Amino acid sequence: MKTIALYSIKGGVGKTAAAVNLSYLSSLNASPTLICDLDPQGASSFYFRITASKKFNSDKFLKGSKKIYSNIKATDFEGLDLLPSDFSYRNLDIELAEAKKPQKRLKKNIEELAGEYQTLFFDCPPNLTLLSESVFAASDMILVPMIPTTLSIRTYTQLTEFFDANGLDSSKILAFFTMVEKRKKMHRDIIDEFRDSPAFLSQTIPYNSEVEKMGIYRAPLNAVLPASPASKAYRALWEELQSNLQANVNEA
Amino acid sequence: MDSLQKSFFFHSVGLSRSWGAFQNALPPGWKLSSLSERSDTRIFYDTFQWQAFSKGLAVMQKKGTLHIVDLRSGNDLSAISYRKKTATLFPSNFPESKTKALLSSCSDIRAFIRLCTFDVVVQTHKLLDDNDKTIGILSSEKWRQSGRDQNRSNLHLIALRPLRGYEREIEKFEKALSGNDGMESAMEFRELFLLLMGTCGLNVGGYSSKIKLELKRDAPIHESAQKLLRFTLSVMRQNENGIITDIDTEFLHDYRVAIRRSRSILKQLKGVFAPKETAYYLNQFLSLGKRTNALRDMDVYLLHRTEYSLWLPALLQPSLKPFFSDMEASRKKMHKQCCRHLDSAGHRSFLDKWERWITQTELPDAAEAPNASTPTATVAASAVRKSWKKVVRHGRQISRDATDSELHSLRIDCKKLRYLLEFFSSIFPGKTIGPAIGHLKELQDNLGSFVDYGVQLEFLEQRLSSMHPDGGDIAGVAATGGLIATLHGRKEKARRKFHETFRAFDCDETAALFHELSTP
Repeated sequence: MKTIALYSIKGGVGKTAAAVNLSYLSSLNASPTLICDLDPQGASSFYFRITASKKFNSDKFLKGSKKIYSNIKATDFEGLDLLPSDFSYRNLDIELAEAKKPQKRLKKNIEELAGEYQTLFFDCPPNLTLLSESVFAASDMILVPMIPTTLSIRTYTQLTEFFDANGLDSSKILAFFTMVEKRKKMHRDIIDEFRDSPAFLSQTIPYNSEVEKMGIYRAPLNAVLPASPASKAYRALWEELQSNLQANVNEA
Repeated sequence: MDSLQKSFFFHSVGLSRSWGAFQNALPPGWKLSSLSERSDTRIFYDTFQWQAFSKGLAVMQKKGTLHIVDLRSGNDLSAISYRKKTATLFPSNFPESKTKALLSSCSDIRAFIRLCTFDVVVQTHKLLDDNDKTIGILSSEKWRQSGRDQNRSNLHLIALRPLRGYEREIEKFEKALSGNDGMESAMEFRELFLLLMGTCGLNVGGYSSKIKLELKRDAPIHESAQKLLRFTLSVMRQNENGIITDIDTEFLHDYRVAIRRSRSILKQLKGVFAPKETAYYLNQFLSLGKRTNALRDMDVYLLHRTEYSLWLPALLQPSLKPFFSDMEASRKKMHKQCCRHLDSAGHRSFLDKWERWITQTELPDAAEAPNASTPTATVAASAVRKSWKKVVRHGRQISRDATDSELHSLRIDCKKLRYLLEFFSSIFPGKTIGPAIGHLKELQDNLGSFVDYGVQLEFLEQRLSSMHPDGGDIAGVAATGGLIATLHGRKEKARRKFHETFRAFDCDETAALFHELSTP
């Protein structure tokens, strides 16, 4: 099972849109995929019209696999399931802090899912907390969507510095640019600046109003409007990601 | 987790009526959205003795994929690509996978036989809740047995399958539906499976070689013995076709067990049948058994193929190939001979004659068969007592060295006792007969492996003596030597374990059990 976290310290950068569309694309290759919504706002759950069962909460989530299993729900798309988030997730950090070995908790909890899913996506809340650290430990790849602005670059640097300072493997971090507007000079300049960096994917996602309308369709853009420019870009991004994951496997 | 997601099936007499009932029962805001219409073929498999069914599984091929379905929930436990349309399949046909493991858990050696084929037309609808979220799949399905026959049976049904995580909603909906006009109550997949097999005239679970007769304690032993003999005859008859079409090795095995059991009944129940006729039938069954001995031996060696290979280092493994291909060739010849006999008029008329003899109702002449009218329980008790005493007496007499012939004859004594216990198990109390068989089985396992290794050893020694090292097949000679050494080691290990195993059997606890069994 490959685990990919969609993560950014900064909010509103297209994490959920990327998680929803990439997980959908992953499921199309006949590879059972689970998207795990960790954000108490529950945006990816909302996009798939899924709400958590009344009895599900952060406590159950932390208890691990058996509880996780029974709360997974099928999306409307074959081979793509979702573990919905719950509003109680806002307390995940406090609860994690009280748990034993909090950083390793998540990794352990998802172990048993490997029998059933080939790819797992985390849609993470925007912050850098104990939960984020737990996600870093559990993920094979930390995918960071970035709007090409100076503030985004700053948070990206904060993230890599955090990794280095805490002895984490920063080679897991891969960034890509989202909401790109080619007509803006700053966007073009920043993309140019990072073009050759190995920590950046070359495919970018253009700004596309259709992405925002996902809240109306409540389905992955790639399922509803596969021909839209953003859908095409997600497809190309997924292909690039796959060859990247494959290269990792070969190295290992 | 799979067990949560349970599908429901509604047997539908009038499809439009049932469909209407569905529409009416939808909670406010829920709707159906048409998804697709397609047709496919479903082929079901199981072993001759329904081992998948008894494990709660159905084996179904659909569109080039073999599915193992949980009979309770109707969910796939595994699926693997399998495009071939074969009359039988074996676990060994598949690569290491969940499918292979599940099939093996039913049986490693029995063939999964194609039971029946259906052409299915499925109209699928999504079931949406008031949030427009798909929570289940509803399909109207027309199942029709494949074939040209105009009178093929049809089965119309509606299937309701929850999506993962929506089991509770679907179950609620199913409850609301089941009480509705025009709807019968919902079935599990198991019931649907039974219905489908029924339409094809298949009797699910209809075959077992285990004796499950209910004998009457007070009935004359002659009547009970005939009942047992009719059972063993039915086992023989049911297995003949499988032997002839060569489906798997267990048809012949069950057939041979049935022959031995028939002989055992005739031989061990003294004074129950007229001696002259008894001697005739004993003799006939003996020669029928002998006709199949060599074929069964070949089957056993061929079943050991993988095991034998693994006993040898990689260097010697390839040289076993000619060994097994020779064996396959001679097995083929033996099989042909065996079939010719089973198909012969002489054999058929013998079985018919036997059947008449074991169905005649009048008791034999009291002068010839003085015990024929003795109550079954009395005969059973004394036969078990005698047989058990014999096992204990002979077992205690076995020397420190435990020679081949001593162990061989004790094995036969044990087998006789085991047959008696099985014949009369229905008239013995379950809490006594179960443990008694259990204790005996441990001893039998020890003696069985000792004798089996010995037989294989002898066969290989014969082969070795017929080999000419000058012929250049040094590796073949070495491989045979390797197998001989391994078998010898195992045989001697079983021999060394004998006294300990026998002591465990020959204890107060077993004695108490057998004492209880042999007190009518």
